[in-house]
Amino acid sequence: MAEGMTWSIEEADKLTQAEIYGQVLTQMGERDNKIIAMTADLAKSTKIGAFNVKFPDRFINMGIAENSLFGVAAGLALAGYKPVVSTFAVFTALRSAEQVRTDICYQNLNVKIIATHAGISFGQAGSTHHCTEDIAVMRSFANMTVIVPADGIETGNAVEAAMNWPGPVYIRIGRGFEPPVHTRRDYGFQIGKAVTMREGMDVTIICCGVTVLQAVRAARVLEGQGLSVRILNLHTIKPIDKEAIIKAVTETRRIVTVEEHNVECGLGSAVADVIVESGKACAFKKLGIPDVFAIVGYPEDLYNYYKIDADGIVAAISELMGKEIEEDENWDDET
Amino acid sequence: MADKILLANRIVLRSVLPLMKVYYHEVPGIHSGWLKKVDGVIQFSIKGTDTGAYIEFKDGEIDVLQGVHSSPHIHFAFKTADDMNKMFTGKVGRPPSIKGLSNIKLLLKMLPLLLGLTLLLPNKQPKKDDLRLLKVKLTLFMVMNALSQLNKGGDEDMRAWTSKMPDRIFQLSVQPDGPAAYLRVKAGNSKSGRGLYARKAPFIHMIFNGLDGAYKVLAQNKDTVKAMGDGDVRVEGSPEYAGTLGSFMIRVQNLLIPPKGKK
Repeated sequence: MAEGMTWSIEEADKLTQAEIYGQVLTQMGERDNKIIAMTADLAKSTKIGAFNVKFPDRFINMGIAENSLFGVAAGLALAGYKPVVSTFAVFTALRSAEQVRTDICYQNLNVKIIATHAGISFGQAGSTHHCTEDIAVMRSFANMTVIVPADGIETGNAVEAAMNWPGPVYIRIGRGFEPPVHTRRDYGFQIGKAVTMREGMDVTIICCGVTVLQAVRAARVLEGQGLSVRILNLHTIKPIDKEAIIKAVTETRRIVTVEEHNVECGLGSAVADVIVESGKACAFKKLGIPDVFAIVGYPEDLYNYYKIDADGIVAAISELMGKEIEEDENWDDET
Repeated sequence: MADKILLANRIVLRSVLPLMKVYYHEVPGIHSGWLKKVDGVIQFSIKGTDTGAYIEFKDGEIDVLQGVHSSPHIHFAFKTADDMNKMFTGKVGRPPSIKGLSNIKLLLKMLPLLLGLTLLLPNKQPKKDDLRLLKVKLTLFMVMNALSQLNKGGDEDMRAWTSKMPDRIFQLSVQPDGPAAYLRVKAGNSKSGRGLYARKAPFIHMIFNGLDGAYKVLAQNKDTVKAMGDGDVRVEGSPEYAGTLGSFMIRVQNLLIPPKGKK
């Protein structure tokens, strides 16, 4: 954790993910004059505008010109600055995919990207503003680190960690208003290391972003039904924590992944890659937005519709528990 | 309500008697010389029923099988299940009728194995480490199998406990490299096994700290709670489930050796 950070856990209850990163970034900017904050006409929506209030001479609003935004950021990084770029996820991962890939990742530049309004968190804005493909795109870019924080507290930790992490980093957050799931800051956040939110031996939920809170709620319900549920908050999709995943497979033999993203090529697929490569068998279920353009609505309603809320997770796990993890169903040949 | 005597008998036949095979392999010199070549079948059964188990010696090997053999060489037929239970738990019951006693060699082959099972009794406290280890091993194997028999035999509480259970492993082991046994439970089914279950981490793992730690607890020389405090045993997993498992272990013990004043 960076020295001198002053945002507090109490603030996490009041501030959105974006507001917290705005604060963290501003505080980091006080100590490091190489940090440049950048956006494309979304200073208010992304909350990176907080940096502008304190350091107007180190804040660049490119206007509605996202491709230029990332190109300029690459140039600043080459000049020795530490650009932090924030705009909506859909503009980052889709509109400016080429600039992020070729200008930033190809040269392995020190550009940090904070993409807001990801997934279906801006559900009411419609499909043009949904972004259920960004994890897939970003994790396929060489050199890119991909982080999906669970809440504001984790976003603060992720921003701090990212500033000390070499190369490009993509931090994916929602539109704000996501309630906190962590109750303290010092739970040991490390890029590339999953956080075990709770231990369990019957099934493991591997999740990221807003689904972590849903998983915690689901686990409470399932615990009441006698199930022991492990939750891995896999906040870093890349580099992925293979050790934690394989340990969960070995120990619980049932894995459910939950993501606010298309189930193709997102968190679930990344986890599946690890499992398949390990050669270990388990019962496996991916929850997420199916391979469709999401419908329009408030995010909480959409989470329910796509069964990535607590109710959906409970239902999926109840079904998964009936699947066999052990081919040996002969109960008489005991010793 | 499940009949306690029949439950105990199920445990005797399926959990205790098969340990002869373990004893046979763990004490290699038990049959030397001409005894090695003696083959035959020894039956233990309850008169008028098909409840029983038999020991088969063949080509230097031993097997313990459930059921009634069509033509055993020696046949111990007990009047009741209770009489059989008493014989195998070190108490005095009505003696069985015995056919084939003239087959002295076969009887002599079986007797040391039968006596070997007395190692399971609480009053058997061997001093030698190899025998202490054997007592620990036999006890681990017996306990986990007996828990499975308790379930399969219809103990209501055990059935209620297992019926809602997803696929779970309850493991006992002596660390770092001692014997181990497990109980697998799934939706009312149960199955015991020997060694460390390799396909899934245990839901509950009771880990004994070496032979000494295991012996203190399993030979009933130290209360389990105190043993945990002293570091002789530790439990990984839900303490509530571990507590319930422990209470079923006590139930098994009480079935086989009822506390004084209780039947």
